Amino acid sequence: MRRLILFSLLVVATADAAQVQARLIRATKDDKLADERLKVLQPKLKKTFGFPYYQQLGEKQEALKLDTTNRLDLGEGFVVFVTPKSIGKGPNKLEVEWTSGKASIVKVTVKIPDGGHLFFKGPGVANDWILLALTVHE
Amino acid sequence: MKAHHSELISALVDGELKGLRRWLVQRHVTRCAACAAEYRHFQHVRELLAANPVTSTMSDSPEFFWSKVKREIQAREGQTVNVPVPALGLSDWLGQNRFVLASAVAALIAVVVLVFAMQTPRQNSNTVVIIQPPVATVEHASTFIANTVATTIEATEAEPAVIWVSGLPWTPDMTEMKTQFAQLDS
Repeated sequence: MRRLILFSLLVVATADAAQVQARLIRATKDDKLADERLKVLQPKLKKTFGFPYYQQLGEKQEALKLDTTNRLDLGEGFVVFVTPKSIGKGPNKLEVEWTSGKASIVKVTVKIPDGGHLFFKGPGVANDWILLALTVHE
Repeated sequence: MKAHHSELISALVDGELKGLRRWLVQRHVTRCAACAAEYRHFQHVRELLAANPVTSTMSDSPEFFWSKVKREIQAREGQTVNVPVPALGLSDWLGQNRFVLASAVAALIAVVVLVFAMQTPRQNSNTVVIIQPPVATVEHASTFIANTVATTIEATEAEPAVIWVSGLPWTPDMTEMKTQFAQLDS
């Protein structure tokens, strides 16, 4: 019986935990690279960066746990580390570090409410840009 | 009512006072020993007068008396007579115009209620709830690679916050980018 209660509490806690989703994106003018997985995010990306098409290069999602660093390996050598500093009450305060290889590209402290987004404009590749999109949701 | 007014006590005894004025004078009489004594004196005189009515005897017969009055009225017809008008105080005026007083009090209450109603926030069933879009707030952003800068573009209602990292090396293709970035060291 005790195990059942503990399991129920664990299930409830996991279901309510905020999730952070990171996407590595290539902004391009090549319509062949347009990605259906970014259909929802595409209008915001287009309004922000101006490119007509967006390709998802990698995606990872993790549950946020206070003061626990989440490692989100997005492929192409890019890794994002997310450490929640406060979650649940109001906007989630996160420390985000975008790295490539041994190098830290950028480190940010940000407050993101549920459903909020944070975009990063990264390096240029040929005529395209590499972007990082961070979303927090329950 | 603070001063002693014999005429008011007399008026009270005679039943000439009404309403608030009557209540005020009665209250004063119950509290002021001098006025209470005067009130009792007036009442006593009134009782004596009532018990001993004046019997008048007329020299003329009633018919002859009324014929003299009629002649006098006819003789004075057309003459203007100045009748002295008593000066009324505010309390007299209010006593005579109770409707005006009541209306003024009602209007004052209405104004006070209206002022309170205007200050109280309205809560009706058609309350519009404005849902603010979830926007991210960047507190701090920094870069560690040489010659790079992170610029924060704050979020607006419609668009998310953006960290614009400029100065990063440009590469001609994805393979070259992976190679070059793998060698970067901050």
